[in-house]
Amino acid sequence: MIVSGARRFSPVTAFDEALLWALALLLSISLVMVYSASIAYAEADPATNSRFFFLTRHLLFLGIGLVGAGAVFTRPTAWWQKHAGRLFLIGLVLLVAVLIPGIGKVVNGSRRWISLVVLNFQPSELMKFATVIYAADYTVRKSAKMHSVTEGFLPMLSAIVVVAFLLLMEPDFGALMVVMAIAMGILFLGGINLRIFGGLAVMAAAAIVLLIVTSPYRLKRVLGFMDPWEDPYGKGYQLSHSLIAIGRGEWFGVGLGGSVEKLFYLPEAHTDFIMAVISEEFGFVGILVVIGLYVWIVRRAFHIGVEAKKLERYYPALLAQGVGIWLGIQSFFNIGVNMGLLPTKGLTLPLMSFGGSAMLMNLVAVAVLVRVDWENRRIMRGYKV
Amino acid sequence: MRQPQSFARRNAPRPGLIMAPGRVRFVLWSLGALFFLLIVRALYLQTVQQDFLQNQGEARFRRTLVLEANRGVITDRNGQPLAISTPVQSIWASPEDMPPVPPDKLAALARLLEMPVGDVAAKLADKKREFVFLKRQISPELAAEVMALGIPGVARQQEFRRYYPAGEVMAHVVGFTGVDGRGQEGLELAREKMLAGKNGSRVVLKDRRGHIIEDLAAIERPRDGQTLTLSIDQRIQYLAFRELRNAVELNKARAGGVVVLDGKTGEVLALANYPSYNPNNRSALEPEMRRNRAVVDLFEPGSTMKPFPVSMAIEAGKVRPDTWMDTKPYMIGPATVRDSHPKPAMTVTEVIQKSSNVGSSKMALMFAPEQMWTFYDQLGFGRSTRSGFPGEASGRLRNWQGWRPIEQATMSFGYGVSVSLIQLARAYTIFTNDGGLLPVSFTRLASPLPARPVLKPDTARKMREMMMSVTQEGGTAVRAQVLGYHVAGKTGTSRKLEGGRYAANKHIGLFVGFAPATAPRLIVAVMIDEPRGGSYYGGTVAGPAFSAITAGSLRILGVKPDAPSNNTLIPLDQIPEIREDA
Repeated sequence: MIVSGARRFSPVTAFDEALLWALALLLSISLVMVYSASIAYAEADPATNSRFFFLTRHLLFLGIGLVGAGAVFTRPTAWWQKHAGRLFLIGLVLLVAVLIPGIGKVVNGSRRWISLVVLNFQPSELMKFATVIYAADYTVRKSAKMHSVTEGFLPMLSAIVVVAFLLLMEPDFGALMVVMAIAMGILFLGGINLRIFGGLAVMAAAAIVLLIVTSPYRLKRVLGFMDPWEDPYGKGYQLSHSLIAIGRGEWFGVGLGGSVEKLFYLPEAHTDFIMAVISEEFGFVGILVVIGLYVWIVRRAFHIGVEAKKLERYYPALLAQGVGIWLGIQSFFNIGVNMGLLPTKGLTLPLMSFGGSAMLMNLVAVAVLVRVDWENRRIMRGYKV
Repeated sequence: MRQPQSFARRNAPRPGLIMAPGRVRFVLWSLGALFFLLIVRALYLQTVQQDFLQNQGEARFRRTLVLEANRGVITDRNGQPLAISTPVQSIWASPEDMPPVPPDKLAALARLLEMPVGDVAAKLADKKREFVFLKRQISPELAAEVMALGIPGVARQQEFRRYYPAGEVMAHVVGFTGVDGRGQEGLELAREKMLAGKNGSRVVLKDRRGHIIEDLAAIERPRDGQTLTLSIDQRIQYLAFRELRNAVELNKARAGGVVVLDGKTGEVLALANYPSYNPNNRSALEPEMRRNRAVVDLFEPGSTMKPFPVSMAIEAGKVRPDTWMDTKPYMIGPATVRDSHPKPAMTVTEVIQKSSNVGSSKMALMFAPEQMWTFYDQLGFGRSTRSGFPGEASGRLRNWQGWRPIEQATMSFGYGVSVSLIQLARAYTIFTNDGGLLPVSFTRLASPLPARPVLKPDTARKMREMMMSVTQEGGTAVRAQVLGYHVAGKTGTSRKLEGGRYAANKHIGLFVGFAPATAPRLIVAVMIDEPRGGSYYGGTVAGPAFSAITAGSLRILGVKPDAPSNNTLIPLDQIPEIREDA
């Protein structure tokens, strides 16, 4: 019984220490593996020209992320609820801005980055966070109307459609999938009428199929994933190398630094395909540890939500579980892509892959989660939030 | 699922039902199930699919490198290099791993390799190939320039190119190797195993840019080829080639060949053919030039055979050198055996000196066909010399059971039997080696191989004395004499067989001799094919070349003159041309 776990974790400390340790462990693994996976590329590429190129940047992003997370932690959850609409609007504005040539930067055919002098920012990462904040607020506000199509459902649907449209313009199909999963998950937890939810799910599935079939780029990716060995030097190149890396790992891996795939065979080894490198170097045990940490964090997020709900703190409860859904579904998508269960999407592994915007927003989301827990503990001890 | 369903049936708003425990559990378990799916998938990939995936990986990273063994050097008997391997490099590419090459780099690459841009692009077009040669055997300097272009996927490989310092002079003996480094002709082919050595190998993991990451197995080191020391003396070879070329050109002949043997060991000191070719640049090579005539071509030896039936008769005690013979023409059946300069009677020595068909055939007919066949067979006619030279001809000696008397008679003066020049020269070792037939050897011998006794030493000595008269006044080859040395030998002029008939105007001029005649050191056999410079007689066309080669060779070897008082030669313009039957 997972929900009853709340009884076992009686709050005696100010923070959820187990959660923080899991987080620290994940970030440590991230630091080591980003370095391990990027050494060869960083050293050989004249543009980077130092084996530490990605490591130093990753450290910088972690630093920025932790400072950001600290700042976010100081905001009460009520503050987020108050500014939820504004944050969602900012997210939308940035998603529009990134589409404007001159502001948005094109990398690999996708216009996903806004250039900020030295660093690039990915508005879609902010949008994932904004969706958690906004969908939770929306659900609480409209909780009385969750059975109504026009009042409870249509406003959220239109917001999702707008976001979906903007994300597809980039295009960033992966972010869209995550945003949709977060929004629908929060609506579901928030008690939306099952018939409405069912209808929405069917429509979303139909839309996804339509989007895949109508875009040669997406169709190619999907077909490449179906059988990477049919064309291992073309469509299936990246996936076949990811699978080889996993197969080479066996039970305990080839050892840290021993990956061959990261030596220019596997593209994006330190970003989207870092799990393949972890699998090769640490084997099945490494996969178990990393997945175990994600499961732990997701499970804690849901428990924190349940405890908040018991205190009748509905908004923080949905926030916590929204963060859980986000981290859970995105890590599933990413690892699933690495293992050939899902078509390539261009999604990072949360709290693990190299990438500034993603790391910042993931840490900020975790900070909100920790804040919800912190507030829970304060209230249980009789303090004010 | 119980609670969400019951929830769904209610229409009334119930804020308290936000996050119904059932829904929370459903979402959490769903996420758990997805993670469980990942773990199952990981397990499947790392157990069931492990072999397949690892094989796919090995196919991509694992490479077996060949560590090329250095091919052995071929030297002459004094250690002078005749075939050496020089390092060159070949440029190859791996289209499979190559990003598209920018047009300017492609153009620069094509220019350096002196190839049309289209050809280079075509070689790189097949993205499935992981190895294709762009250009082989270029200089290391040029290869360095190509690598400086920095095109990913283009690599070089060390190879060796065979270089033949003696060029056309040694071409037929040494032969050559193909672009793959394996022997194709001559001794390069015959001694392939010894020269090639054994390539080593190294199994490595490579990253995608071709760097070796680690060795997967123990390195198998290459075993270099051995040095092949030939019996050839390069100085004699140069001399023989030069004199042969002169003789062929002077006599407007089609071709020619020379074999110089060590008369005491059977080693081949020189073997030359003309025309020859340059093994270092074989672009203009025609099959005709490539043939090692002295070893693979057969001809009817004519009068150069006569010493053999004579020695057989002396050995059997049927005649002595001073035995008088009736040399008037005579008939065997419908055919008449005659000499071109008929004399009613000659001594056995004169039969040799004047090259009498009548005399030699009469001596042959003193024996049964089986006896004569056995004698010829013992001399190695009709059998390969087993020198190991590729394509060596064994010659033709018909079985005695079918011999008619006229055939036995003509075989005594070298018709109806065909030999190669090296076989003929070798048979003369019975005269130089006191009756023992020596095997021929193209490699230097530490000590002579056992000879096969054919004649008594005394018979051999008598033959040497008789054959000395050939180069003396009244002999058929006064032009073959050498200052300071006694020379023994025998001329030969034979008509060539063309389509089973003897051609009227195609001859082979021969001289086979040895010197110093009193203590033989060298056997020199000269063959001039189809001389058309006026004379075609062996003594005239082959004699001077023999003389020059023998004189030079004896000097090179520092052989003590056995006729130091004989310091004048009969001037060539006063030498009457004594013709022999052709």
